[in-house]
Amino acid sequence: MNKFTQQVLQSPKLQALPIMTHPGIEAIGSTVYEAVTNGHIHYQAIRYIADNFDTLACTSIMDLTVEAEAFGAKINLPENEVPSVSGRLVSDAESVAALEIPTLAKGRIPQYLLANRLAAENIKDKPVFSGCIGPFSLSGRLYDMSEIMAAIYIYPETILQLLSKCTGFLVSYCKALKATGTQGVVIAEPAAGLLSGDDCMMFSTNFVKQIVDAVQDDSFTVILHNCGNTGYCTEAMVASGARALHFGNAIDMEKVIEQCPGDVIIMGNLNPVAIFQQGTEEAVRKATRKLLEKTAGHKNFVISSGCDLPPHVPEANIRAFLETVEHYDFLCVSRVC
Amino acid sequence: MSSDFLEKLSECVEFGKINLASPYPPQMKGLPGADEITREALQAGVTPTEILNDALIVAMNKVGQKFSENKIFVPQMLLSAKAMSASMVHLKPYFASGAVQRRGIFIIGTVFGDLHDIGKNLFAMMVEGAGWEVIDLGIDVKTEKFVEAVERYPNAVVGISALLTTTMVNMKPVIEAVKSAVPGTKIIVGGAPLSAEFAVSIGADGYGKNPQEGIMLLDKISD
Repeated sequence: MNKFTQQVLQSPKLQALPIMTHPGIEAIGSTVYEAVTNGHIHYQAIRYIADNFDTLACTSIMDLTVEAEAFGAKINLPENEVPSVSGRLVSDAESVAALEIPTLAKGRIPQYLLANRLAAENIKDKPVFSGCIGPFSLSGRLYDMSEIMAAIYIYPETILQLLSKCTGFLVSYCKALKATGTQGVVIAEPAAGLLSGDDCMMFSTNFVKQIVDAVQDDSFTVILHNCGNTGYCTEAMVASGARALHFGNAIDMEKVIEQCPGDVIIMGNLNPVAIFQQGTEEAVRKATRKLLEKTAGHKNFVISSGCDLPPHVPEANIRAFLETVEHYDFLCVSRVC
Repeated sequence: MSSDFLEKLSECVEFGKINLASPYPPQMKGLPGADEITREALQAGVTPTEILNDALIVAMNKVGQKFSENKIFVPQMLLSAKAMSASMVHLKPYFASGAVQRRGIFIIGTVFGDLHDIGKNLFAMMVEGAGWEVIDLGIDVKTEKFVEAVERYPNAVVGISALLTTTMVNMKPVIEAVKSAVPGTKIIVGGAPLSAEFAVSIGADGYGKNPQEGIMLLDKISD
């Protein structure tokens, strides 16, 4: 059992880990553009979250374009919105075969490594988790997400070759993230949630597992995030070997807990938009209590947002969430539940 | 004879057999797909209206139903939609000549600021398969482009898609501009971060949680 898993399972108190950096970016007065292009600002945003919220750990920006950009994809980088990939980089067997696996000097990768190193060096009171995209989600960004969905059946060899190249890069990237001193990595693989369980196993898990096998050990934990999973990919997620699994709001957490081994950390799944961003403080408290009641008694459960909190989440809602967890925990301890 | 063609075509669309070259689905490998069967059917005298109503719409209804019941997933649905599009190519001249009537015109686009298209593409193909003519304006569609399209097709229903919380708010000015340019235009919205409450708050006429729900909504508001 690795350190992080042990820390969660043996903790006397309920743990909360909302995936968030945008509240930090906003609080330090920076723009999304500045944070995703400048490692120092990125670090300051993580630092703000670490210093101001009582969470189990802190995470780096969930930016699902930085790896695609390293491969050469065109990126749209708005001032205050999440970046996105524009167009497609590869479209057939020939272009996939010609695709070169980039070095870690490409695009914004050095800035992301810098942010992670600064966070690992300076945040000592809680674990810092790096972040990267999953192999299928990265392949979809390079091949076009709609097209790859059909291509897994029509040109499976081409897609498997693309997945191998993406995985090769992600293994190198995750090793470099680990070398910065962080305690783990959140691998975001939302596109795999659109697949059936069998396809998720073949086109995602088999590749995620290669990353897990390359970097996960006693002191470095992989958290596999798949917010697209509606309940059909859970088995495939468990098979990845990741010590922690993170689920989106489209799934029933009670069922997830039943399906997953007790020594795997399960995280999720309050709606980041409807609850955190658009809900009232009271709605946040109510949804948080409801989820804690449903998952009560499971030491491997860590309450979280169902995905990365988007920009413009009121800080009061985050505080309402954390206070509710703390208060629920206090009541639980008082009643010895 | 006609029913043989229609049955085979319906099966191709339901199971995503695009053409002879496509290896999917494995049990139909090496067999003609929706492309070849439609061409043969038209040559044999099957009418385009029969092809549309008795094969394509029937098959896509089954596909939508299976998707909403989680019996198939996005890849299978996209392959069915591609098979339907391969058939539809042969029907386009008949639509253009007016020999075949569509159920209406549906204008769709991803709202400005947003480059995501998988949901929009999937829904557009499902709507086409339900017998509508689809005008796809693409991604990152500016308000003026939506307005131009409804001015050109004033009886059309409009669909707006967004995947980001930062861009879903852009739907409201589009809805206001479209309704101001052509009063009475019906507008439906969809996308992962949206909800029925949000749709009401921005003045949309409906919200589809999934493609099947969207099609039912479209049929309802266009009646």
